[in-house]
Amino acid sequence: MAAPVTLYAAVDGSIVVDRLEKRYGRRQALEAVTFSVHAGEIVGLLGPNGAGKSTTLSILACALRADGGRVEVAGHPLPAQAGAARRALGYVPQREALYPPLSARENLRFFGRMVGLDGASIRGAIERALSLAALETRAEEPIAAFSVGMRRRLKLACGILHRPPVVLLDEPTVGVDPQSREYIFEAITALAAEGAAVLYSTHYMEEAERLCGRVVLLDEGKIVASGAPGTLVSDLGRAPVLKLHTLRALPEDWLSLLPSARVRGRSGLEYEIEVDAAADLPSVLLAAERAGVEIRDLRLRRANLADVFFALTGRALRDDPAGEA
Amino acid sequence: MILRALLAAFHKDLRLLLRDPVGLVFLTLAPMIVITVAGFSLASLYGAAPRGEESYRLPVVDEDGGPVGRAVRDRLRHEPAVAAEFVASRREAIEMLERREAGVALVIPADASGALAEGTRSTLLLLTDPVKYLEVANVRVLVEELRHALEEEGRRQAALKVAAARETGEAARREFTRVVEQARHETEALRARLEGARAQFEERKRTARERAEGSLRVLAAEHRRQVAERLARELAPVRSFLATLADRRQAFEDWFAALRKVAGQRAGDIPEPPAPPLVPAELTELASADPEVLVVRLLGPVEGQALPELADFDLPRIALPSPIELPAVPEAPPLGMSGSLDIDEQSATGAPRRLNTFDQNVPGFSVTFLLLGMLLGVSLALLDERDWGTLERLRSAPAPLSVLLVAKLGSRIVVGMVQMLLLFAVGRAAFGISLGPEPWSLALPTLGIVFAGTTFGLVVAGLARSRESVLPLGSIAIVTMAAVGGCWWPIDLEPPWMRTAALAFPTTWAMTAYNDLMIRRQGFAAALRPTAVLLAHGALYLAIGLWLFVRREGRDG
Repeated sequence: MAAPVTLYAAVDGSIVVDRLEKRYGRRQALEAVTFSVHAGEIVGLLGPNGAGKSTTLSILACALRADGGRVEVAGHPLPAQAGAARRALGYVPQREALYPPLSARENLRFFGRMVGLDGASIRGAIERALSLAALETRAEEPIAAFSVGMRRRLKLACGILHRPPVVLLDEPTVGVDPQSREYIFEAITALAAEGAAVLYSTHYMEEAERLCGRVVLLDEGKIVASGAPGTLVSDLGRAPVLKLHTLRALPEDWLSLLPSARVRGRSGLEYEIEVDAAADLPSVLLAAERAGVEIRDLRLRRANLADVFFALTGRALRDDPAGEA
Repeated sequence: MILRALLAAFHKDLRLLLRDPVGLVFLTLAPMIVITVAGFSLASLYGAAPRGEESYRLPVVDEDGGPVGRAVRDRLRHEPAVAAEFVASRREAIEMLERREAGVALVIPADASGALAEGTRSTLLLLTDPVKYLEVANVRVLVEELRHALEEEGRRQAALKVAAARETGEAARREFTRVVEQARHETEALRARLEGARAQFEERKRTARERAEGSLRVLAAEHRRQVAERLARELAPVRSFLATLADRRQAFEDWFAALRKVAGQRAGDIPEPPAPPLVPAELTELASADPEVLVVRLLGPVEGQALPELADFDLPRIALPSPIELPAVPEAPPLGMSGSLDIDEQSATGAPRRLNTFDQNVPGFSVTFLLLGMLLGVSLALLDERDWGTLERLRSAPAPLSVLLVAKLGSRIVVGMVQMLLLFAVGRAAFGISLGPEPWSLALPTLGIVFAGTTFGLVVAGLARSRESVLPLGSIAIVTMAAVGGCWWPIDLEPPWMRTAALAFPTTWAMTAYNDLMIRRQGFAAALRPTAVLLAHGALYLAIGLWLFVRREGRDG
């Protein structure tokens, strides 16, 4: 089972969200959302579309006012000290948030000046950012010609140009190639290593599990679970599932000799086999071979945060399950 | 910090604009194309193309062949609105109209010059194609001006002749007056001379009389003296006798007294001696009298002595002429032909009467495209910012959103000013538009309309949620403001209620200022009020736009 919802009576950290409330008309967008992110920590904010992730990030980014609760960024309560909070923020929105007609250097220079960098500091920051985004050789080109991955790297570089103590990342890897994703992961990890508090909004479970020390699962404006990804998944107690795609149908009793494995479902020549432990997988494959059926494809699917979410809410974490692989 | 952010955003927006060459071309080339097309297309609306490149063909039939015909030919040669073609006959002119090569033909009738010279009426004939209304109207005005000019010239010539005749008569009158005046003076002189001669005569006569009287008196005195001497001489013996007699009488008396005394007592007895004869007293008095007295007694006193009457004579009386009093010769009354009531068209502002169509079209279509560039540019640029997500990112930046908006508007304003400057420069170079007496003052309404157009773009951006809504909303606003505000045609073509309604649009005020400065040739003061209104429009739009935009961005976040 999933971990119980943790509501902090008092939270502290670089990011503090305490009983946050937000309404859009009659719709309750956020309800008593409470979590914190400490310096050097990467916390994942997970949830399906409309769960409240972007609203939470917008409130933290000082772009939106909360209707209730307490919010602090780098020790600055919002909205009272929004100016100071903004200076401490590095916000990487979900959208590209770059100027396509401008070059990478021009984009960096502009966003650097917007966060107060000037003179030598901005020149150094731009060079570091270009290096981080691996765009040194393309710095003078209009970014309209860049690939999606390059632009995502530049977007991240623009957001953290001034080395902010608090970083808000909203789906930073959507649509990027693996190479760019690795660049981004390295950058985020480095930020945390330097002491930044990173709030990472995503619906890529594997990213959250890989990067985040803790995750907060949101659904319909409420926190349904929070904690370390591994803990949440293990608390679910769900066995791995092996998906087999065969060239012809398996006989009905092909697993009769293997009690630790069970057919959970079948669609044509695709079989979902639930096993008690990963150690039973070879036996399943062996049973299929003994049945004389050739396997065309096989995939192992372990329980993950999506399963945790599904278990807690009865709904999928993403609208497009294909992306969850 | 905010200033740096403002400058950074300003530079960023300028860079974005410069990276859009198509947009820049749209800002300058497109309006010039439209201005050119509209300027030449609408040239006839104002009567003529500005430089006479295009003009109406005007067949002219000179049946008169006299001075009127020559005058018409001379005047039409210098009229840019028409290209006069002298044809031989009315038939030929009508054929040109039938071939639609011209909309109007002018016939100068045979009696035109004579009638004009004699002061009688003659009528210029216009053969027209009513379908070509505008051409007919424009040429009619031209011919009306021509007719008026010819009449005026005829009147001027006649007036010159009358003035010359009057001058001759006046000279004769002055000569006559001079001669008569001279005669009067000479008569007066003669009269004076005559009176002088008479006075001189009288004086001479008086002197002669006095001289004669003196001579007579001397002669009379001499005569008296001679008489007195003669009397004294003649009476001397008498006087001597009388003296002797007196002495003897005394002696006798003494003797007698002595006798008596001797006679003593007997003296009484002595008889009285005989009395001597008495000497008459008159003789005694005569003898003792002064001869002078006797002269007076004999001749009378000198004073009473009458002189002999001198013969008197006198000049014959000459009747002198009375002083000549000339009756006043009246001056010749001013003579002239009966004047006609003329109309003289003068520009009240010193602007030329013929309007360069581009003076209207260059600012009008420049403002239109300025609004397209500013209004759509600002609103679409803000939509770009939303679509790109940069607005979302910038909302979390330390600089307020309003700073970013102001920077964006500022960069657009700079671009708008440059755009207008280029368009006016091209308009000046290519079409000879007027920049007014103070070209720099064009910057005032330009700044005003650029500001108003830019900030109105913010309003549109605040109202429209997508490009699909920006384009119709912006287009409707631009077309309405430009058309009603007088950007495409003179606002005076619109009905009064629409002109009143147009005051709500910034374009109306911009065009008012441009027309005042460029066409009416007024100074910068004429642009102050429209510019103030434009800036007020801009400030209002800015306030509304910021309110709408910030409100929506806050809610949409």
